[in-house]
Amino acid sequence: MKTIDCRGQSCPAPVIATKKALEESAEGICVQVDDGAPRENVRRFASNRGYQVSENAQGNSWLLTIHSVEGVTPAAASAASEQIAPQTTGDRILLITSNILGYGADELGRLLMKNFIFTLLETETRPARILLLNSGVLLAVHGAETVEALNRLAEQGVEIFSCGICLDYFAKKDQLAVGQVTNMFSTAEQLLSAASVIKL
Amino acid sequence: MGMEIVVEGQYLAVFNSTHRVLKAEALLKARKNQFMLIPAPRAIQADCGLALRFDPDQYDTIMYTLSEQNLLPAFLCQLINGTYTTIKEFQHENN
Repeated sequence: MKTIDCRGQSCPAPVIATKKALEESAEGICVQVDDGAPRENVRRFASNRGYQVSENAQGNSWLLTIHSVEGVTPAAASAASEQIAPQTTGDRILLITSNILGYGADELGRLLMKNFIFTLLETETRPARILLLNSGVLLAVHGAETVEALNRLAEQGVEIFSCGICLDYFAKKDQLAVGQVTNMFSTAEQLLSAASVIKL
Repeated sequence: MGMEIVVEGQYLAVFNSTHRVLKAEALLKARKNQFMLIPAPRAIQADCGLALRFDPDQYDTIMYTLSEQNLLPAFLCQLINGTYTTIKEFQHENN
């Protein structure tokens, strides 16, 4: 099985390299990645594409073995993913691009955003995922008042993803309190395959 | 089904003025009080829909501070046996 070395690469490079390698070797590949966001993002990417993923620690890095699901030919798996990707996943995604809701008074905007997230706990319909971009990631870091509500949403199955670039920009990479770090590749794929995207 | 934002025994100081509740929040934060400004639960009718949520052990400090600074809420209620029970209504100018 082909092995690609993505150690030392930051997201989304490992995901893009994995995608390219799987297009050439649809039956499966092995990927060496660093722990943290690269490992999580590659694993999630492969799983979402219908592949099975097993992980083995190798010192400070990980070897991810990605192979097609038993009974499904690689070509079928590839075709299936290609068919699914442009279509919708049926998910409703909430895209939050700021820690302030609306334009005008920032103080009011911060209050409205917090209120909105807390109100989601009381609504019967919830998004499948919440994607946090730009200053939206500040809603999910330690010390943010919205962490309580986001944690409870996560407990109820809402997936919460924060943009890694954005966390890095705000020097909050090691302060994420809820959800996972994601990259622009995954973000773009999720937005393009969602049944509906609600942007705040 | 929604999830409760407030747990049994907690108080809600419900405000009918956004400016007033923001002043109260800033004041209590400056004094390191333990509370959270939240949207008033659906079961509570409030004009601006904002409430300060706090635990019983914070009651004396928070209510004293709000009273002292003339920032009392429109009314105070407590979640008792799953129902929001009004403890007291306050007469003041909402500004």
